[in-house]
Parts: sequence; structure tokens; C-alpha cells
Amino acid sequence: MAKKYTLDELLIITAAREIRDGENIILGVGLPTTAGAMAKALHAPNATLMMESGIIDFRPLVPPNHIADANSCRGFSYATDLFSAFTMTYRGYVDVCFLGVAQIDKFGNVNTTVIGDYHNPKMRLPGSGGAPDFLSYAKRTILTMRGGEFVNKLDYLTSPGFLDGGDSRDKSGLFPPGSGPAMLLTTKGIFRFDEKTKEIYLSKVHPGVGVDRIRKDVPWDLKIAHDLSETDRPSDAEIDFVRRFAPTEVVGRKLMYELGLSNAFKKAQARGKM
Amino acid sequence: MAVIKNKVMTAQEAVSRFVQDGDHLVIGNYTVGTCAALVFEVIRQQRKGLTLYSQSGVFDVEVLVAGGCVDRLVTTYVYRAGGKEGGSAVERAIKAGTLEMEDYTNFQYNARMVAGMHGFSFMQVLEGAMVTDLFKKRSFMGEEKYKVITCPYTGRQILTVPAANPDVCIVHVQRADKFGNAQYWGALGSVASASLASKRIVVSCEEIVEHDIIQSSPHLTLIPGYRVDAVVEAPWGAHPTEVLGYYNLDRMMYAMFFLSDMTGDGLKVWMDEWVYGCTDRHAYLDHYMAKHGAEMLDAIRAKSYFSAPANYGSAYTSCWDNDNLERTMGITLEEMEKILEDRGLLNG
Repeated sequence: MAKKYTLDELLIITAAREIRDGENIILGVGLPTTAGAMAKALHAPNATLMMESGIIDFRPLVPPNHIADANSCRGFSYATDLFSAFTMTYRGYVDVCFLGVAQIDKFGNVNTTVIGDYHNPKMRLPGSGGAPDFLSYAKRTILTMRGGEFVNKLDYLTSPGFLDGGDSRDKSGLFPPGSGPAMLLTTKGIFRFDEKTKEIYLSKVHPGVGVDRIRKDVPWDLKIAHDLSETDRPSDAEIDFVRRFAPTEVVGRKLMYELGLSNAFKKAQARGKM
Repeated sequence: MAVIKNKVMTAQEAVSRFVQDGDHLVIGNYTVGTCAALVFEVIRQQRKGLTLYSQSGVFDVEVLVAGGCVDRLVTTYVYRAGGKEGGSAVERAIKAGTLEMEDYTNFQYNARMVAGMHGFSFMQVLEGAMVTDLFKKRSFMGEEKYKVITCPYTGRQILTVPAANPDVCIVHVQRADKFGNAQYWGALGSVASASLASKRIVVSCEEIVEHDIIQSSPHLTLIPGYRVDAVVEAPWGAHPTEVLGYYNLDRMMYAMFFLSDMTGDGLKVWMDEWVYGCTDRHAYLDHYMAKHGAEMLDAIRAKSYFSAPANYGSAYTSCWDNDNLERTMGITLEEMEKILEDRGLLNG
């Protein structure tokens, strides 16, 4: 019988499968690095994994704590600086990058800066980080959304997707032809972008999720792939790798805090400190 | 799975595959560690019509120009053998009308490579040069050699140079791995920018090392493997120039070269012997040792003065400790899987 998996494992493994051997990948912390680690270990041994801090060609051994975490690997091939990491993206040497999303619109434009009014925010989010430049110049961008929302109009345009759709991104002359978001991965399904209109559509649903539940999240009439199917299930080897590599991500933040705190408490008790 | 091409090859194969007639070719090295093995191979394969970039055109430029490979030269410095009575291949070619040359300052030349490396279309340089004839007297680049713009922030007149993105860089380094990660230390000059600005990169090295060596010293890597097309192992590949940690400048050989370079005929004799007369770097070294003795090379071989190692280690390289407990949660994998099951977090 095939192994059962958590939702986080499904998301990580689905993202990892987007990475092809020999590609150059910019990774952010969390899901992307675990996906990159899995890809490099299982199906893309010659992928070059990079972090924007200038850590180039690393093999993660534990999940990094942040994007400058050289403690997460055992050496790497090339130490450069942040400036050069971005200009090499600008010059077209980055195949894939991963970005998290707070708000996304119909054409894959992304907000990670603020919910509500910029000057009087309802919720101030992290901001841009490297996102706008990566979504501008990486050949493909994999977007991930776990707590975010689909909106008709972004409260703030942080990173350019397909702008007004159609050929507007290419026509702007600002971005490499063919670049832009390739996929949006949410807790409910996989979305892709129509080749012509560049409108987002539902491509796959995760097992057990109904299309109606997804429609409810989207404030416009969501297009659905005519060959809509279920997200491919992870293989045992993939699950095993992810579980060993990133156990705390697999259990999720809430459970990790619960178990981690109880472990710290147990240890303190054992030392007679509590 | 993608087919991963083998990048390790001979100088002959590397030049034949990656240096083409009419290319803009840049010498990655600056003054030291000149990629002599690759330069000689370019000459032996009789590449024609090159636009040659060299930060400081000495040995490399002289032989490439004398070899008839170069139509256009972009540089900052022309060597002159033997003072007033002497000359250089560059001077002879300019006089003969077979070579056009564009003069830049060291900084401007490097700024062109830095702009190219970063994908910018131009770079601001130091405006004092606007009063010089570098600015006024222009060769084949004409209007494109410099442009003056108004700074949008200060309103001042700014001197700019256009980015350079040569077709191919040939460069010699101390060591590289088979993936092309190239490590170079010593005088950094413009090695990184000249290499990274280029569309193709051919690296020759004193030795090909295990990937682990590179991985434990990434601060020494100047060119990342994914940018490199060919890796050539060429011990003594920069001779008669020097490579830090491997050998010194061969003053005897260098002096003989420049004596020969005083005249076109003299240089031709030298090149017949050392470039055309040797099929590759091994033949060159055999010939050198037969003629001058192996002790001449021993005398310039570097003694060791190792850099202090930098510690790239971390506390652990697995989320699981020696008792197979997860480091934060303090449970085994089996216990973790049971908790996931009990909480109903597993699907499928």
C-alpha cells in the first residue's frame, strides 16, 4: 500500500516536480528549499540551487532558517554577493524561482506588501524582498499561496505577473519573452495560466477537494481546465525524503511548536530546572 | 533526465568548439597567469578576424596579433620591446594597417566588463577623461566609444562607456572542478568581470580538483560552473607568466621572448619554435626541458604558503540527532508518523 502523506508533503513534492535536471533555481526559505532539496536528491542531481544572498550551488542538508543560511549545507560552490545574484537573474541565468503570495489577481500579479491602504494598513506584510525582480526575470516562477487570497484588484502591486493579461507583459518590453508565473500552488489545487489570455485557471485539484470549494475562494468566474484531474500523488521515496529532510515542515508550524515546547519542557524537567 | 555534457577536454577541442573566426575574444587574465596554453592554441588553429580584448595587452596580445588572428584590439596598454630601437607586434600591425585599436583607461576597460557582467547597457566612468584625447581620438568604435549623459540626480555631465559582452573568454586559473567551478586567487584584476561578461567561457587550470575542494572553499570561486563551457587541465598553462602558488614568472624565457619581439622576423622565429613547433602544452614543456633543463622549471616552482583554512562547518547536518530523535521535537520518525496518523493529518 502506498504511503499516506500530509498536505504540506503534497505541496512540497508537487513543487519539487516542477524542477528539471540541469536547471538553475533560486530558492526561498520553507517549501521551496525543501522542494529543491528533494529535486536534487531524487530527480535533478545536476540542478544548481541558489539563494539570493549569494550562496550558489548548495545541497541543503537541513531546512535553512533564512536565505543566507550557509549552516544548512556543507559548503557550496560559489560565494558571490546579492547584487550579482540579481544581475545574473536579470541576464537570464535563472530558470526557476519560487515566491509566496498574499494576494493574487486574475493575471498572476502578486501582492506581498500590504492588505488595505498602503499608508493606513489593515495588515502590513513583509514587502518585496527579492520577489519583484525574480518574477520579472526568472524564466519561470512557481507561486505558492497558503494563507493568501484571490482578489479582483490587488491592494498593492508588488511583483509583476502578466499585467493586464494577453500579450501585455511581453508588449511592455520590460521582461524577457515567455517569462512570468508558470504555476500557482495552493492548499486546494494547482493553477496555471492560459497560453493566450494569460488568465489563471484551475489545472488540478488536490485529492478530496471539490471544485466548488475552490470556486468560492475566487471572486470571478474561475476557468477550469477541460481535462481537470487530481494532483498526482507523491511516491513513497518522495515522502520518505521530505519527512527525513524537513520533519518540522511536514508536521506544520502549529504541531511543531506544540511538540517542540513539550520537548523543551521535558528536557528542562530532566535537568531539575522546572 | 537531462544529458549532462562533459566539460573536461583538451585545449585543442575547447578552442575548436568555442572560439570562432570573427569572435570578440577576451583574455580573462590581467597581467599575471596569462592563459598562454589557450592563446597558443587559438594561434595554431589560425582563428581570424578576432576583436581582441585584453586589460593589459602584453605577452598575449603580442603573439595573437603577430599570429594574424586579430583585426581589432581593445586595450589599455601596449608593450614595447627594447625601448626606442625596439617595437611590438601591435605597433607593426598598426603601421602596416592590419590592426585597428581602441584605447581605454584601465578603469574604463574594466567598467565595460563590469557593465556586461551585470547585464547593464553602460557604466558611469570617471569624468576627468573627457578632456583627454582618449575621449577625443576614436578608432573603430567612433561615437560608441564614450557617451556623455546628464545625471538625473545631480544634473552634472557624466562620462559613460558601453557594456562589453565578448563572445568568448579564455582564462587561466589555479584550479577548477569537472563542472567548471573555477577558483582563482591573488591579484583579482578584472578576471571575474571579464569572464562573467562573456557569452562563452573556456577555463584552463593548473589542476582539476575534486568537487569537495571547491565546496569547502567557495569564496575562492570566481566563475561558477553553470557559466563554464570547457575546462582544460593545463599544468604550467600560463608559462612563461606566473601563477600564484604554482610557479613564478620565468624571467629568462620572458626576456628571450621580448628580445625576439623587437622585430617581426625575430618574433616569427620565436613563435615557430614555441607556438607552431609544439602541438600542445605538453610538447611545449618537453621542448622547454630538453632545451633548458627541468631544473629551470624547478627553480621557479612555488614553495607552499597556505592560506589559513576557513571553517564552513555547522553544528549538524541532519534534523535527526545521534539517537534518531528529531532535534526540535525530540521524537523518532516512527513516533512522528504515529502522531500525524492520530491527529488525522495523513491523506491518501
